[in-house]
Formats: sequence, C-alpha cells, structure tokens
Amino acid sequence: MVFENIAQVISDRTDTPVEEITLESKIKDLGIDSLDSVELLLELEDRLGHEFDIDRKVETVSDLVALVEEQMKQ
Amino acid sequence: MLKSKICDLLGIKYPVFQGGMAWVSDADLAAAVSEGGGLGIIASGSAPASYVREQVEKLRTMTDRPFGVNVMLMSEHADEIAGLCAELKVPVVTTGAGNPSKYMSGWKQAGVKVIPVVASAALAKMMTRLGADAVIAEGGESGGHIGELNTMVLTPVICESTSLPVISAGGIADGRGLAAAFMLGACAVQVGTRFLSAEECNISDVYKQKILQAGDLATMVTGRRLGHPVRSLRTPFARNYLKAEYEGMPDDELEALGAGSLRRAVKDGDVERSSFLSGQSAALVTRIQPAAEIIKDIVEGGEKLLGGATQWVK
Repeated sequence: MVFENIAQVISDRTDTPVEEITLESKIKDLGIDSLDSVELLLELEDRLGHEFDIDRKVETVSDLVALVEEQMKQ
Repeated sequence: MLKSKICDLLGIKYPVFQGGMAWVSDADLAAAVSEGGGLGIIASGSAPASYVREQVEKLRTMTDRPFGVNVMLMSEHADEIAGLCAELKVPVVTTGAGNPSKYMSGWKQAGVKVIPVVASAALAKMMTRLGADAVIAEGGESGGHIGELNTMVLTPVICESTSLPVISAGGIADGRGLAAAFMLGACAVQVGTRFLSAEECNISDVYKQKILQAGDLATMVTGRRLGHPVRSLRTPFARNYLKAEYEGMPDDELEALGAGSLRRAVKDGDVERSSFLSGQSAALVTRIQPAAEIIKDIVEGGEKLLGGATQWVK
C-alpha cells in the first residue's frame, strides 16, 4: 500500500508512467531533487495521515518505502 | 521608525540581517553589523569548529548585541559546529544547504533561536513543524548557492506557507528592496552583497573593487550540471568553469576545479583561479561605507518609501 501511494505521488509529480516506477528506481533519476523530495513527503503525509521526517539518506524508492513504513509503526 | 516583530523576537534595533557568506562573514563584519543595530552573522562555511569558536569569542569582545552563526549543513564539520552553537549559547543560528531537523532540539534546549534558509514552500512548512523561530526566503538573485525561484515569487509563497516571521533575501541592497520585501509580506530583510563593500569587511581589495564596478550583467550562474548552481561575478574563472561544464568535463574534475576557489577570491583576489561570489545586487553597490551607515541607508530609504506608499491609492 505504501509503495503504491509513493509510486502514484511520484508519477503525478513527474509524469513518469506509474508502471515504470519500481522499488529499485533511483529517486534522482525520476526527476526528483532534494527540494522536491520534501514536497513529495508532505504529499505522502496528506495521503497517509501521518507525519514523516527524512532522518536518513533516501536514494531509491525502496529507501523511501522503508522510511515511511518504519515511521508509520512508531 | 521601521520596526517589526523580528526586532522584538531577536532584540535587534533594525530588521536587517547580514547574510552569512562563507569565508567573508567573520567576527569583524558581524560585530560591526550588530553594533549598527542589525543582526550580524558569522558564517561557518566549510571551516572547522575551531574557526567558529574563535570568531564567536572575538565577536563577543567587540559587541554585546545579538548576533548569529550560519551553519552550512553540507559541511563535514556541521555536527561539531551545531553542538558548538548550543555550547556557546549563540543567540541565533541560521542554516543553509539542507535540513537541520536533527540539531533542532539541542539548539532549542540551549535557548538558540533557529532561522533556516528555505528555497521552497514545502521546506518552510517542514521547518515550521520542527519548531523554527522564523525562516529566510532566499531568492535566486542572491550570490552563492541559489534555488530555482526568485525573491518576487518566493517571498509571498513562503509567507503563505507559514505563520512564522519571514525574512526576505536575494537582490536586496537598499531601501527600495526593503520596502518591496515588506510589501511582499516579509518582516525583515537579509542583505549579503552590499556588505561586501563595508569598511569592516575583510575581503581582498580586488574582490571589493569588483563589486563596486559590477554592472547589471556582471553575474552569472555556474554549477547547474552538478545540481548546485552558484551565482558569481563573470570572471575568467567563472567563464572557464561554465565552458568546462558544457564541454563535458567529468564530475570529479569539475568539483576539483571549484574547490577552494571562493577562499582564493576572499584572500588573494586571483581572477584566474577564484570564484567571486556575488548577488545581482552588486549593480546597486557603488561605494565603501561603514556597516552601520549601510544599515541606516537601507532602513531610512525603506521607511521613506513605505511611508509614501499611500500616494498610489486615490
């Protein structure tokens, strides 16, 4: 569920077809820079109803999924 | 008299910050600005914590007014400098080039006011949530590392995205800039480039003269290919760097080309090997003055314009 939400938000922001976004995709290669990533996180917060903090290096979609899943458990 | 909530929040007379310019904003300049009623800021840049300690201690022998330290979050010394700011109970910390969330609680516990530089609405929202005391909206007219948006758009966008006081920066060098920033919703301004011409600013004479001579087309942006655009004066070094970027020089060689180039501008003024960082507002800087006079000029000019703004409404 988290991956689907992240893929959808990235797709909406970058016009990348959602089926082309995989866990291995690098966030930078999808056209998201460090400023965009903060905005992406805020959009995810709205969708998932939880606050997140980028407290580590996030390079791939998989890193972001792990961060979100971990912080949703807290 | 021009006064805003930022003056009460920080205990300063005028709502004017001096930008934290790496290798430039030392204790001499920051103390002169704070003595002049603004907020002087010591820049940490990529320097080690020992440099910051020395500058803070020196400043405290020169003024007892509030001052700040700018922490460059990309620096390898950021952790140590962040801790030092709490230890020294620096009145204000401004941050650049990143997300300061991991330092926030330490600073708040030490009573440090935290004012991050933000280049987007999302970052301003995030900083608000993390407990920042104000934010600096720095537009792309400024010198050094720049974001995508310019001051005219960024300032109102940031003002709409946060309830915190907003300090506007980028392209502001006189009373006209200050008045415009206040009209955009800011309650203070941060000025960098104009303070390069302050008597108390210890940069090389070559650098200072270049700022005084700079016209409206004197600056350019390099570094877009590596994702860290930087505005500087259009010197042979900057032109060669841009050429190397477009001719496909490998990333590591390009990084090596830029390394140490600002320090050389500040210390030696070597135009072939140095990066003279400057905002577009160098075009508005025409003479060398004491920092206190610069602040007075900006504030009095702004007061006059803001006081006369009703002339446009019939």
